[in-house]
Amino acid sequence: MDYKVVKKNAPGRGEVEILAETYEAGKPEGEDTGKWRQKLESRDEKLKYLQNGERYWYSDDWFGSEKRKTPA
Amino acid sequence: MVEEEKKKKSVDKASLELIDKACADEVNLAFDRAESMKPCPIGAVGSCCKNCGMGPCRVPLPKGKEETPEDKKKRRGICGATAETIAARNFVRMIAGGSAAHSDHGRGVAELFIAAAKGEAPGYQIRDEQKLLALALEWGVEISDRSNSDIAVEIGEIALAEFGRQEGELLFIKRAPLKRQEIWRQQGVVPRGIDREVVEIMHRTHMGVDQDYENLIQQGTRTALADGWGGSMLATELQDILFGTPAPVLSEVNLGVLKEDEVNIIIHGHEPLLSEMIVAVAREPEMIKLAESKGAKGINLAGICCTANEILMRHGVPLAGTFLQQELALVTGAVDAMVVDVQCIMESLPDIAQCYHTKIITTSPKAKMKGAVHIEFNEHDAVNGAREVVKSAIENFPNRGKNIRIPQEKHDLIAGFSHETINYLLGGLFRASYRPLNDNIINGRIRGVAGVVGCNNARWEHNQAHVAMVKELIKNDVLVLQTGCSAMASAMAGLMVPEAAAKYAGKGLAEVCETVGIPPVLHMGSCVDNSRILIAATAVVKDGGLGDDISDLPVAGAAPEWMSEKAISIGQYFIASGVYTIFGVTWPTEGSKEVTDYLFKDMEQMYGGMWAFETDPIKAAHLMIEHIDKKRKALGIDKARERVLYDMEMRRELDKV
Repeated sequence: MDYKVVKKNAPGRGEVEILAETYEAGKPEGEDTGKWRQKLESRDEKLKYLQNGERYWYSDDWFGSEKRKTPA
Repeated sequence: MVEEEKKKKSVDKASLELIDKACADEVNLAFDRAESMKPCPIGAVGSCCKNCGMGPCRVPLPKGKEETPEDKKKRRGICGATAETIAARNFVRMIAGGSAAHSDHGRGVAELFIAAAKGEAPGYQIRDEQKLLALALEWGVEISDRSNSDIAVEIGEIALAEFGRQEGELLFIKRAPLKRQEIWRQQGVVPRGIDREVVEIMHRTHMGVDQDYENLIQQGTRTALADGWGGSMLATELQDILFGTPAPVLSEVNLGVLKEDEVNIIIHGHEPLLSEMIVAVAREPEMIKLAESKGAKGINLAGICCTANEILMRHGVPLAGTFLQQELALVTGAVDAMVVDVQCIMESLPDIAQCYHTKIITTSPKAKMKGAVHIEFNEHDAVNGAREVVKSAIENFPNRGKNIRIPQEKHDLIAGFSHETINYLLGGLFRASYRPLNDNIINGRIRGVAGVVGCNNARWEHNQAHVAMVKELIKNDVLVLQTGCSAMASAMAGLMVPEAAAKYAGKGLAEVCETVGIPPVLHMGSCVDNSRILIAATAVVKDGGLGDDISDLPVAGAAPEWMSEKAISIGQYFIASGVYTIFGVTWPTEGSKEVTDYLFKDMEQMYGGMWAFETDPIKAAHLMIEHIDKKRKALGIDKARERVLYDMEMRRELDKV
C-alpha cells in the first residue's frame, strides 16, 4: 500500500511530514468483514485471550484500580 | 397540513412524508391520538392509586398555590395512603413491569439455550465458544475437554435458576466493581433472585402493605438491579453465545431501506429468537425462488424496535425505524408482512394493515392481537415456523395495492459495538484493553462518556430530543454509547459513521475517533443490551486511573424521549450503579415532592447516582456535562497538567521527602 503523507506544523519544529490516514476508501462489503472473534481458533487460544484481553474479570493477577487486601 | 404542525411531529423527513400520506389515506396514527387525547394530569405525576376497589383515589397537588400542611393532611386515599406512598407505589410498579419484561425475555433465551445445547432446537447452535468459556470460568463450570454442548447445558441450567433463586445473591453482581458491590450490600439491595424481587414489589404495593416510600423505593432499586445485572444481562450474554457476539457491521437505517420490487418483511419487537431463524430462512435459495415466482426480485428484511437492533448487531439487517415509525412502515403500502414478538407493539397495527395489504403476524403466545395472523414460535421447530412466516409474506406480495410510497431517506451506520469489540478495537488482539479510552479521558481529549438510550414518545417531537442531545454531547467531546430507539434516531441523523466525528464532534473526541476508526456515537444494541454499557463502565473502572467505582467516573446517562416502564427500570439500575441519569418528556413522581427529592437528591448520598428531569435536550446535555465536569474535578483531571520527565537526580529528591 502506498502511504499518504501530509505536512503539519509541529511545536518548535516547524513544518513536519506525518503519516496521513491509512484506511482504504470505500465501504466494507459482506457480513463477515468486521468479525474479529473468528481469528481465535482453538479453545486454548480463546482461554488465553480471556485471561489477557478480558483480564479485568478472568485473570488472577490483575487488579487494576481494585487492588486490596480483602476482597469484597 | 401546516408546515409548523408537521415539524412538531418528527424531525425525520421520511416520517413527515408518511404522516402526510396517512392523513391522505385517512389512517389514524399515534401522532394523531396524542393530539386528540391529553395525558391524565393526575396519573401522569403518580397521584392516582387504583390498587384496590375503594379507588381509584386521586391525591393531586393543589393547583396554582403552595400546599399548606392542612392541605397535605387531606391528600390521602380512602385507606389513608399518603401522596408519597401512592407516588412511590406507582413508581416501583413501573420498575416491576420493566424488570419483568426484560427478565422474561432473558428467561425465554435461557430456555432456548438449554434446548439448543441438548440438541432439541434444530437450527440453533453455539456460535461464540469464547463467550461460553467466559461464563464457564465465571461460574466455576468445568471446561477441561468437555464438549461445548455439555458445558452449555450446565451454563443454561445455572442461568435459568437465577430467575427462581430464593436467597443469596445473583451471580452477575460479582461482575460489578468491588466498591459498588459493597455499597449494594450496605444498602440491602443485592437481588436475591430475579422473579422474587418482581413478585415482592407486587406484594408490597398491594393495598395495605408497604407504606414507607423509602422502603418501597429500596425494593424498587433491588428489582431494577435484578433487571440490569440479572435478567437483561443474562439475555445479552446467552444471546451472544447462541447468535454471536456483535462485531462492527455496516448497514442502513430509515424507511428508505424498504424496496419496491422485493418482498418486504418487517421484524418488530424485542426477542431475536425467531427472527434469527427468519434471517437464515430468508436467504434460502428456495425462498428466493418462491419470491421470484411471485414477481418479486428478492426478499428484503428490515427491523423495527429492538428485535431490529438485535439482528442489525449480528447480521447487519437494516433498520426500518423506531417505535414511532411502526405504523408509518405500514403506511408505505410496501410491507408484505410485519412479524411481531413482544413489547412496544402498537395495537393499532392490524387496523392500519387493513387499509393496505400487510399481514400482521404475531408469534409469541404471550402477545396475541385481534386481527393478526398467529404463527406461534416453537423452539423445537423454529426453522419450519420461520419458513411459514416468510412464505406467508411472499404469498402476500401479489396483493400489494398501487398506493405505495417508500421515502428516499436512509443513512449508513456502523453498529456492533459490544463490550468485547470495544475492548478489542482499543487494544488489539494481543492486549485488548480500555487503557486508551481511560488515557484519553484523563488527558481530556474525551471529556466523559454518556449513555443515551430509550424510546420515542408520541408526546414529544419524534427523535428531536435524542438527536439534539447527542449532537450537543459529542460537540463537547463526550463519547456517546447508545441502545434501543435512541440509537436508531442518532443513526438516522448520520451520527453513527466514522465521518461524523470530523463533522459533529469536538476536536479531542474527533482525534480519538479518527485514530481508532470509530464513530463518535457507538451503537451497543437493544434495550436488554444496556447491560453492555454497565460492563463497559465496569471495565473502565477496573482498568484504573479513574477512581474505583462507577460513581467516580465522568459519565452520565439519559433517556430524553422515554415512555416505557422498561426505561424506568433501566434508569433506576443505572442510578443504583452510580450513574447520574436524566429523563425528559415527563416525570412520574412529581405529585410527591418528598419522593421526587428522595430520587433526585438523597439517592446520590446512598448510591453516588441520582435521577434528574429536564425536557429541553440541550439543557439536559449541559446538566450531564456539568456532572461530568464535577467528576473530573473530583478525580483531579479537570486541568491540563504539564508532564515532567524526571531524571535520576529529581527522583532522589523525591525519595528524601
